[in-house]
Amino acid sequence: MIEYDENEKRMVLKLVYYGPALSGKTTNLLQLHECLIRQGRGELMLLDTTGDRTIYFDLLPFFLTAPSGLRIKVKVYTVPGQVCHDATRKAVLQRSDGVAFIADSKLSELESNFASFDNLERNLAQTGLDIETIPLVIQFNKRDLPDCLPESDIIRTWQPTGIPVLMASAIEGAGVIETFTALVGLVFDRIDQRFRLAGEHGLSKEEFVAKLTTVQDELEEPR
Amino acid sequence: MTADGLTYVVGEERDLRDLLCNADVLPLLQGAVSAGAANACLVDQKGEVLWKVDVPTEGSEQVADLALFLEGEPVARVQVSGEPSRQEQLQALAELLRVALDTMVRNNLKRMLTTEIHTTVVKRSFEEQLLINAELSKSEARYRELAQNLELRVKERTEELKKAQVHLFQQEKMAAIGQLAAGIAHEINNPLGFVISNLHTLQKYVARFTVMLQFYRERLELDPPIRVLVEQADQKWRELKLQQVVADVGDLMSQSVGGAERVAQIVADLKGFSHVDEAEEMPVDLNVELERTLSVLSHQLRDKAQIVRELQALPAITCPPQLASQIFLNLIQNALVHCGPHPTITVSSRYDGEHIRVSVADDGPGVPEELRDQIFHPFFTTRPVGSGTGMGLAVAWEAALQLNGTITVTDAAGGGAEFVVTIAVPKGPADVEVL
Repeated sequence: MIEYDENEKRMVLKLVYYGPALSGKTTNLLQLHECLIRQGRGELMLLDTTGDRTIYFDLLPFFLTAPSGLRIKVKVYTVPGQVCHDATRKAVLQRSDGVAFIADSKLSELESNFASFDNLERNLAQTGLDIETIPLVIQFNKRDLPDCLPESDIIRTWQPTGIPVLMASAIEGAGVIETFTALVGLVFDRIDQRFRLAGEHGLSKEEFVAKLTTVQDELEEPR
Repeated sequence: MTADGLTYVVGEERDLRDLLCNADVLPLLQGAVSAGAANACLVDQKGEVLWKVDVPTEGSEQVADLALFLEGEPVARVQVSGEPSRQEQLQALAELLRVALDTMVRNNLKRMLTTEIHTTVVKRSFEEQLLINAELSKSEARYRELAQNLELRVKERTEELKKAQVHLFQQEKMAAIGQLAAGIAHEINNPLGFVISNLHTLQKYVARFTVMLQFYRERLELDPPIRVLVEQADQKWRELKLQQVVADVGDLMSQSVGGAERVAQIVADLKGFSHVDEAEEMPVDLNVELERTLSVLSHQLRDKAQIVRELQALPAITCPPQLASQIFLNLIQNALVHCGPHPTITVSSRYDGEHIRVSVADDGPGVPEELRDQIFHPFFTTRPVGSGTGMGLAVAWEAALQLNGTITVTDAAGGGAEFVVTIAVPKGPADVEVL
């Protein structure tokens, strides 16, 4: 958690989209930005990229206010996937409250998925976080492409871990909201007891998730 | 982020004052005032003024109050006041002001984030590099220490080995002397044996002579007739077999003297060979030393080896004399050991004005090319385990080194091996003199 100020009634959460290079982390954020209602979310900030590759990170902030007046800001980040940017990944991962691991479904990327997941586990440990307890969802992206890892194989591999696995085609917008919904649900479960969100602040899980994931009304006027 | 560590966290909240400075905001507000606004200010969410430029004007009122966002969150308000009559222009001015500030906030935030993460990454990489370097230096130091110790240990071990080798050389010399002593004992024992046996015989003979002489003394006192005396004496002479005894005495005596002289000669050779009683360094004629060695070995050579001498006059060299005999003894014994039951050993010497060259050649199997470098090494032997120490040629090599000489091995002219001792003897020095 980045910040929790009881007097100011302010909480800042950090969620991270992790995964191998070119698996579609930024695309996920672009789609969230596109699909979710403007109300309660900020602008997507893409930090200097070269040739469409993220070298720093992207940021999409969300806002909501609990019935108690607690203002919650959720900052969603992507990390650069390329192996060489490991130090940046570590910096972004610091003090995060949840991770969405975006895997590439292409058969040829099987190895880099595992390498990146190993990297996530190691970097979490190095930044003082535990992969066993941190809210974590896995998204297998690019389901629209041919030569994909069969879904049954994916389920067989990941089901024993208990980590929620979602199928997506981020470029078509499919599975993106579902992934984010699953992640923020887990995040709520993780922080609810400690910060008494439901009990003291009157914020139920359903409300928390709904506020963060309301799909844009087609009729809403652009600002 | 502070200088002493990584306190910067991606996502840390920013205050508007972190992102905008007076030089960013004031010129914009000033511009609005210049364009006709009475008051242009930026207030935070609680209404407190952050930046403000105003020209107090009567009758002005607020005409615009617009939100300014940071990361999508309203953080301040842009407020502009002025004459109500110019409300429309002033509102447009306020919107312009808001867009300019918004752009500035966005760009400053981006710049700040990229700079900070860049610095973080660089700093972290640098710190990791430092750690790696420290580790490397540590391991380098470890290896250097190890290497230094190793050198020391090798030195110590080499020293020990050298001592052991010197000790072995000494032992080998003693062993050679022991073998020699055994041969020589046999050599002395032989003449000594027959000399003693002769002396015993002579003792008996002398007793008979005594009896004969006693007989004469007793008979002469009685003064018998001469004819009777001669007859009785002849009978006694025959009784004592003095005829044979007289004939034998001469042989026995000369044989015994010969035997004694042989013993005397052996002792003289041995003394000469071992150079007992002699000065540490003296002029030495290598031919003489070669002859002495041959005569000391005569019991091993006799009836076995044929010695061919091709000796030319040599200048004397000044050295401890036993060194030369050590070289020759070991070379000749080497030839005897390796060259079958009846070898021919050719010893030759010559002086070409710069070098003395003494060679010992045999007609044995020779030394294979690939072994020539090794045969002078201590413990190298081609003989079965237990029968050779491998030290003989090493001792000869050591002795040659002490004479500032070398030993090489080549093929002998008639097959077999030729060991050549070469000692540099420049012409002219006072102690060099052709004998």
